[in-house]
Amino acid sequence: MATEAIGGVRVRRFLGGREGAQKRFVAAVITPALVFMATFMVLPIVWAFALSFFDFSPRRAGTPILGLGGDNPFVGLEHYRAMTDFSSDATLNVRQFHTAAKVTVLFAFLVLPLNLIITLPLAAMIESVHQRVRPIYRTIFFLPVLASSVGVAIIWGFVLHPQNGLLNGAISRITGNVTVISWISDPSFVFLGIPVALLMVIVAYLWQDLGYNLVIFIAALQAIPRSVTDAARVDGASAWQIFRHITLPLLKPTILLASILTVISAFQVFELFQVMTLGGPDDQTLALSVNIYRNAFRFQQMGWAAAMSVVLFFIVFAISLAQTRLLRSRWEY
Amino acid sequence: MATTAQRPATVLAAPRAEVRRRPSRGTRHRAGRTSLYVVLTILGVVAALPFVWMILASFKDAAEIRQIPPTFWPQDANLANYRTILQDPELPLFTFYRNSAFVAVLNVIATLFTASLLGYVFAKFRFRGRQPLFWFILATMMIPAQVTMLPGYLILLQLDLLNNLWGLIIPSFIDAFAVFLMRQFIVSVPNDEIWSARVDGASEWRIYRSIVLPQLRAPLATLGLLTFMFHWNAYLWPLIVLTEQDKRTLPIILTWYSNQHSSQANLVMAASVLIVIPVLIVFALAQKWIVRGLTLTGGR
Repeated sequence: MATEAIGGVRVRRFLGGREGAQKRFVAAVITPALVFMATFMVLPIVWAFALSFFDFSPRRAGTPILGLGGDNPFVGLEHYRAMTDFSSDATLNVRQFHTAAKVTVLFAFLVLPLNLIITLPLAAMIESVHQRVRPIYRTIFFLPVLASSVGVAIIWGFVLHPQNGLLNGAISRITGNVTVISWISDPSFVFLGIPVALLMVIVAYLWQDLGYNLVIFIAALQAIPRSVTDAARVDGASAWQIFRHITLPLLKPTILLASILTVISAFQVFELFQVMTLGGPDDQTLALSVNIYRNAFRFQQMGWAAAMSVVLFFIVFAISLAQTRLLRSRWEY
Repeated sequence: MATTAQRPATVLAAPRAEVRRRPSRGTRHRAGRTSLYVVLTILGVVAALPFVWMILASFKDAAEIRQIPPTFWPQDANLANYRTILQDPELPLFTFYRNSAFVAVLNVIATLFTASLLGYVFAKFRFRGRQPLFWFILATMMIPAQVTMLPGYLILLQLDLLNNLWGLIIPSFIDAFAVFLMRQFIVSVPNDEIWSARVDGASEWRIYRSIVLPQLRAPLATLGLLTFMFHWNAYLWPLIVLTEQDKRTLPIILTWYSNQHSSQANLVMAASVLIVIPVLIVFALAQKWIVRGLTLTGGR
């Protein structure tokens, strides 16, 4: 059967028909895909870089070439030069960019360790309960991942409401005194040099985002051969010793990958900052993503917004590059 | 490489070095089990609290919601908030559900079609430029949405697709992550089956439809759910594209409603329940498939 089939193909190939059909098929699939990708994948990237060299607003008429030039003048590297102006007489735009960059980096690099500190032990705990109840616990912690970010932002806004919120209500109940704390609206409320409003966004984001790493870690834990942990247990190792000296080292590659993905998504969080805190109080939660959106679509400063997005691109690109580096090395048990 | 070589040594040596005398295994084990369940349950309750808080608040009336300190259980639970929302002529929820469903379903269909087709071509055909093209598609995954959204808006402006639900569908016709995922699965479809179908005279489209597609049911189901979830919950891109009220999708309507009724948290919470909970239930039931997709790729 098999030899016949190959023989048949060879004959047909020799005659040319099949080969042509395959070529036509590939062309029929790839050609529209190329047109699409040129329009919606290549053009936007090139255009974003181009925009960042212009003082551009879609309201103003420019030249026919992408609306650039004309009333949208070319400014070269001016936007990027302005970003490096750290003097006190820098424009509001520039100061806000510095604030936003700081908020975003602080957010991403606070989210990462906090996320791992919670998800790793939690995954180990869920993995070690009985199979029957495991999905129940997993579902509870995974549900927020499935909810819309806007819903999460609104729910947390009400949990943290100064007068009618759950958190202050619980504190009032426990202490016996009516407590009114402005968790996300008081700019002078700072903890260890970090605005509490930002910390609260981090709490809400951790709650929303835990589930991702949790399921990835649970899967990775299940892939660890039982014989390894059993051997250690026979030798008298405690649960903590097993976790610390066996599980953790074996999970290292998964942790690295999850860390990078966590940081990259943290850099792009938009909904919580836009809906829960509106970037406030006093720009304390003005993330880069929100600042880019506002400049582009509210203040009609698309060139400046594009320049900031290019900076965001390079940050994420650098982290992604590190990711592919790490993934290229093979990891085995 | 070096890490791989070192690992077994760490695994074997470390625990043995720290063995200490402990109480008998049985009691320790049982006590550990119980405290494990207790800790997990407490954490689970804390994690569920924000949802519970939202649902309970949606049953409270305007006076109760403003009480200081707030009540936890509604004193006089009723469905008045839901009635108000469903009868609000400014909030035709059905229209917004339909908009969201239209966008999400068409995106699912488009993504499953393009991803399986492109995945097939990348996995099973050799042609010039295949490798660089595939790498390019992978590379686009690294580009933040904030970068492409500005020119994306200007492109839709040119194509006259602003304020149009198709503006949320056409730009996402090909999804890089989906193409990558499908290619990984199609690589393992046996070449013999494809070749013998060719010998039997099946056209290339026929092979895609009757040999390749049927073997992809499970990954397609997972990918479909992830795609639906992504577009159903999307906020930033619809916020930019849609400006007319009746064109809007649910997440945007929720923020709009929340701003309109910022002093009436009971109504906002009821609206949140109506918009967040139904899909949450569907997703929770299909969770197994979603989790599978996430763990297969580690993707977000």
